[in-house]
This record gives sequence, structure tokens and C-alpha cells, in this order.
Amino acid sequence: MEQILKLWTESGLAQVDAGTVVMMAVGFTLLFLAIRKGFEPLLLVPIGFGTILVNIPGAGFEAAPIYDAMGHLESPGGLMYYIYNVGIASGMFPLIIFMGVGAMTDFGPLLANPKTLLLGAAAQVGIFVTVMGAVGLSSLGILDFSIRDAASIGIIGGADGPTAIFVTSKLAPDLLGAVAVAAYSYMALVPIIQPPIMRALTTEAERKIEMVQLRPVSTREKIVFPMMLLGLVAMLLPSAAPLLGMFCFGNLMRECGVVDRLSDTTQNALINIVTIFLGLAVGSKMSADKFLNWETLGILSLGALAFCIGTAAGVLMAKLMNRFSETPINPLIGSAGVSAVPMAARVSNKIGLEANPQNFLLMHAMGPNVAGVIGSAVAAGVMISMVSGF
Amino acid sequence: MEVDLFQQGVDLMLYGMGTVFAFLILLVGAIHLMSLIITRFFPEPVQPEAVVRMAPAAAAVVEPRLQAVIQAAIDKHRGK
Repeated sequence: MEQILKLWTESGLAQVDAGTVVMMAVGFTLLFLAIRKGFEPLLLVPIGFGTILVNIPGAGFEAAPIYDAMGHLESPGGLMYYIYNVGIASGMFPLIIFMGVGAMTDFGPLLANPKTLLLGAAAQVGIFVTVMGAVGLSSLGILDFSIRDAASIGIIGGADGPTAIFVTSKLAPDLLGAVAVAAYSYMALVPIIQPPIMRALTTEAERKIEMVQLRPVSTREKIVFPMMLLGLVAMLLPSAAPLLGMFCFGNLMRECGVVDRLSDTTQNALINIVTIFLGLAVGSKMSADKFLNWETLGILSLGALAFCIGTAAGVLMAKLMNRFSETPINPLIGSAGVSAVPMAARVSNKIGLEANPQNFLLMHAMGPNVAGVIGSAVAAGVMISMVSGF
Repeated sequence: MEVDLFQQGVDLMLYGMGTVFAFLILLVGAIHLMSLIITRFFPEPVQPEAVVRMAPAAAAVVEPRLQAVIQAAIDKHRGK
């Protein structure tokens, strides 16, 4: 009888509480969005499943190892504990993913038209305005965010999953689940969020603008560029060096042409493996006490705001540049300044084609798109170095 | 405390945006400089080679055909 009682008290049914049930429902919702609606399935499937696993009462996925007074290991702890601490608390997974993204990125369009970097800078306005929004909500006493929380929420506006995870794991690990879910959900929603803003801020005539064809970029320029970028980062902004350093490393492997095997592994096998564990680890932070509160709702809405402002700032900057530039610039490519490679560039292309079926903006939009990756990594570096003191 | 937090937010925004713009503007300049140096002093040897190779290749496509025609004509003439 005692055994049966023990088995009962250890069963999921006996230990379950409302919070874990709701969180498991959140996990299933994420799975539904990923599988049925196709929202960033590569990330949301592992995150959703991780959420379910970590909320199974008594399974101890997230348990820390326990040592007795003599230092002997009593219980080794759970899988998710190790995945999280090895991969995310250390910053390793986002950096490896950044290396893979570097290996997948072609800087050609950016090198052919360097001034599109400014669009990548303008779109980061969303990040910092959102920081102000979070701080404002906190000052008004509506929600309780510290400056570290505010910085982590703002970075959602960078539309760059790994950067958001990197910054949040350094500044506000408690918010990681909400920030990562917001970042990846909004990236999936780029084709829905951006077009109305782009249409509202541009005229039909502006959308029809055709751009001059990009000049061909030599292999040498492509090889020297990552090293030059790394040099600039190392000299001026070392706090962005982890992200941009790995990014440049991946890109050099791609462009140098002598390590195709490594480049191939980095942009395929390695990034896939790390994505699985990154998703699970993010899911492991989706526990009821950290996710089910008003702050999460605040994060989700501020994140959407960040995204919209970033898009708008990019488009407005492109309009401004079009006015002063010798060669015409279609304002639609400005919205690609939020990272979200290559989705944002595809959206620019699509809206451009709607206005003018002969107008292919994809390659022109890839410039600001990769500039957005650099811009959000720089913004991340600034935030980490400015905020981590507090 | 709350004013302090707000002040921190303003600082973060100004310095952050400033740094992002300054860095990327610098990068624009650096890319221009790099492209200028590379295209002027280290032009890609592959590029002109490809152009040079293309010309004879294009010529070669015509030449053998022409040659074959001429050869055939000569053969026919000699065969008579």
C-alpha cells in the first residue's frame, strides 16, 4: 500500500498545478504555430517541445546537480540544466549560430552599394525606442523592468534571434523564454507586419523606382571585407567582437574558397545541431513562474512595437537617402534593414513587384538586410557594455 | 530611482544609436576605401583572363567551322 501511495505522489497527476498545465498548453500552442502555420518551425518546434518537457512535474529536466557536504555527487541533475548552462548561459550557441549565419551570408550586394549600411543602422532605431518604452512603462509603475530587462526587450527589434538570445542571456536570463519566443515569432510574422507599414510610408511612384544594377564584386574584396570588419570591431567596439568575430569567421570560411568542407559543415550540419539544442534550452526557460505574468505580455507587445518602428525608420531613411543620392534608391529596401535575413529582403522584393512587375529589388534589399545583421550586433555590443555595469 | 532609470534609458538610446550610426558610417567609408584600393592596385587577375580567354574562345568557335568549310572546299577542288 505504501508503494502505491508513493507511486501516486510521484505521478504527474498528483503534482500538477495550474501553472504547469498552462505552460504545457503554451508549448502545444507553439508546436501548433510551427507545424500548422509554418512559423519559424526550425526554432519553434524545439522550443515548444522543450517547454512541454520542462513543465512535466517531477521529471526534473531542469534540476541542478546536487552535491553533499563532502562534495560527492548525489544527483547529476537534468538534461535541460546542462544544455542551458553549456550552451546559453555561456553564450556559446548563439555565437555558433552566428558563425553559421556568417557562412551563409553573401556580402556582395552590400559591398557593391555600401551606403545601404545606413539603412541597416536606421532600422536599429526600433531597438532603442523600445528600450525607452520599457523604461517608460517601468517609470509609470505599470510594469517592473530594470534597465537590463529594457535592453533585452529592445533587442527584439533587431529581428535577429541569436543576437536577442545572446544579449538576454547576458543581461536578463529570466526573460529569455519570453524574449526568444517574441523574437522568433515576429521574425516569422515579417511578411505580415511589414507590408502595411511599407505601403503607408511610401507613394506608388516611390515603390516603382527602379534601381541601378549592382556592380560585380571581386573575390578579393569579399575575402578582405570580413577581416577589415573584424579589425574595426576589435579596435572600436570589442564588446561586439564575440558576435561579429564569429560572424566574420564564418564569412571568411565561405569566401576564401580553400575550406569549403568547413564552410559546408558550419552552414548546414553544425548550425542544425546547435539549433536543436538552442531551441530546447530556450524552452527550458519557459516555466510558469517566469512566463505567466504581465511582464511577458509587456514584452510581447513592446517587441512588436520595436519591430514596427524599426521597419518604419528603415523606410524613412531610404526615402531620405533617395532624395540626396545620385542613383535612385527605392524606399522599399529600407524595411530590409531589420535583420531577419532573407525574409525582410523578400518582402521588399514582393512589394516592389506589386507596384512594378519589372522591378526586382531582391539583390538591392540584401545589402541593407545583411547590414541589419551587423547593425543589430553592434547595438547588442553597445547595450552589453553600457548596461552590464548596472 | 525612477528618474534615474529613465535617465539610463535616455543615455542608452543616445549613446547606442550614436555608436551604431558612427560605426556603420565608418564602415561605409572603410568599404569604399577597400574597394578603391583593391580595384586599383590589386585587380583580380581572373577577370581580365576570363575576358581574354573569352575572345579566342569566341573566335575559335567560328574559326574551326570556317576552316572546315575551307578545307572541304579545297578537298573538293583537289578531288576533281
